[in-house]
Amino acid sequence: MNSESPLWHAKHVVRAFLALIVLLIALVLGRQFLVPDSWGRSGWYRADNVTEQRAFPLRHGGNASCGECHDDILAELTDAGHAGVRCEGCHAPLALHVSDGDKIADMPVRRETSLCVRCHQALDARPTDFPQVHPREHVSEQGGEFGPDACFECHNPHAPL
Amino acid sequence: MPTRKRDQATSRGGGQVTRRSVLKQLTVLGTAVAGGAAVGLILPRDAAATLTEPYDWTRHRWVYLIDTRKCIGCGFCVGACRQENEVPHGNYRTWIERYRINSEGEAHVDSPLGGERGFERIRDSGHFGKAFFVPKLCNQCAASPCSQVCPVGASYSTRDGVVLVDAEHCIGCGYCVQACPYGSRFMNHDTHTADKCTWCYHRLTRGETTACVGICPTGARIIGDREDPDDPINHILATERIQVLQPELLTKPQCYYQGLDQGVR
Repeated sequence: MNSESPLWHAKHVVRAFLALIVLLIALVLGRQFLVPDSWGRSGWYRADNVTEQRAFPLRHGGNASCGECHDDILAELTDAGHAGVRCEGCHAPLALHVSDGDKIADMPVRRETSLCVRCHQALDARPTDFPQVHPREHVSEQGGEFGPDACFECHNPHAPL
Repeated sequence: MPTRKRDQATSRGGGQVTRRSVLKQLTVLGTAVAGGAAVGLILPRDAAATLTEPYDWTRHRWVYLIDTRKCIGCGFCVGACRQENEVPHGNYRTWIERYRINSEGEAHVDSPLGGERGFERIRDSGHFGKAFFVPKLCNQCAASPCSQVCPVGASYSTRDGVVLVDAEHCIGCGYCVQACPYGSRFMNHDTHTADKCTWCYHRLTRGETTACVGICPTGARIIGDREDPDDPINHILATERIQVLQPELLTKPQCYYQGLDQGVR
């Protein structure tokens, strides 16, 4: 810079101006890359996350969806004692069995007493009007032998009564 | 020093540095920077997943109702929640507590594996006058302490009344886990970010009920829409005796209970 240039004596001002420009650029660019696109659209958060949360895949289909193929079993379930029981509770979520309307895997079938006692083991905390038994006593009273699938000797899990 | 600098300047360009040339250079620099910023603006970002189902969140307000008198403690809700929402083992978005209250009014609480595999008999129950199950989950508080403490805005309330966590934005500081008085939040073992019940937001907004409500065999859990006058939950809330957990904290929980004992926290 020439000493005769009008800016010569204002060098410090030019430097400060340049520094300010650089800082502003850094700020604008930094914000551009760090602040998400949808930030602040609905509040102080990333609005796109709402859409992302909604897009999460469904796993459970409910009894009606099971009935589309297994209407006979669903009818059985609705008739005798287990009307409130959901297929996917004892078996597995629909998504493990069906994808895009096609069967992709067998549903697990668990003939296990451990599944029955989750609801029907006599417990102080259960509502008193809910049917519950002491499984070992109940099986021996009926003349059976208690084992991991003892319940199924007498009861059909889809129509237990 | 000034002399050397002047020499350099003249030897490099050969021309005079004038106010005009400085301003010209600044203009060129500014234009370049503006251009760079514009390129940054149009750079492709992660496009949010698009959904075909229309959903207007201003036309819904979700509330949850638990009738503890109907809960049998089977724990199917805990398992359904885990599978629906890919909750890691050892973490719980919902769980069941067994309360046993003795004659002194003292509460003994247990929740083995969150109740996911049901409950076993405890053989000392002679002293306990009453016992019952209490399903727990996020209360989706209208004045949520968890969202208030989040330093980065990763936790927020939707317009339809659900508190969500943006796992992509969460820095995993765990403040919200500390702030929740109901113990509803946890650090996800897999993602190392804060996690909690979303009331199955992906299901609710597609017209489906939550996994826990859907699987409950006794109807102990229901969810409904305050904005829908025909929703049966509004009749229950208007006519039955209902309660929330720890109302003294003024968090305005949106999860209501029926048949709650005073010992339940």
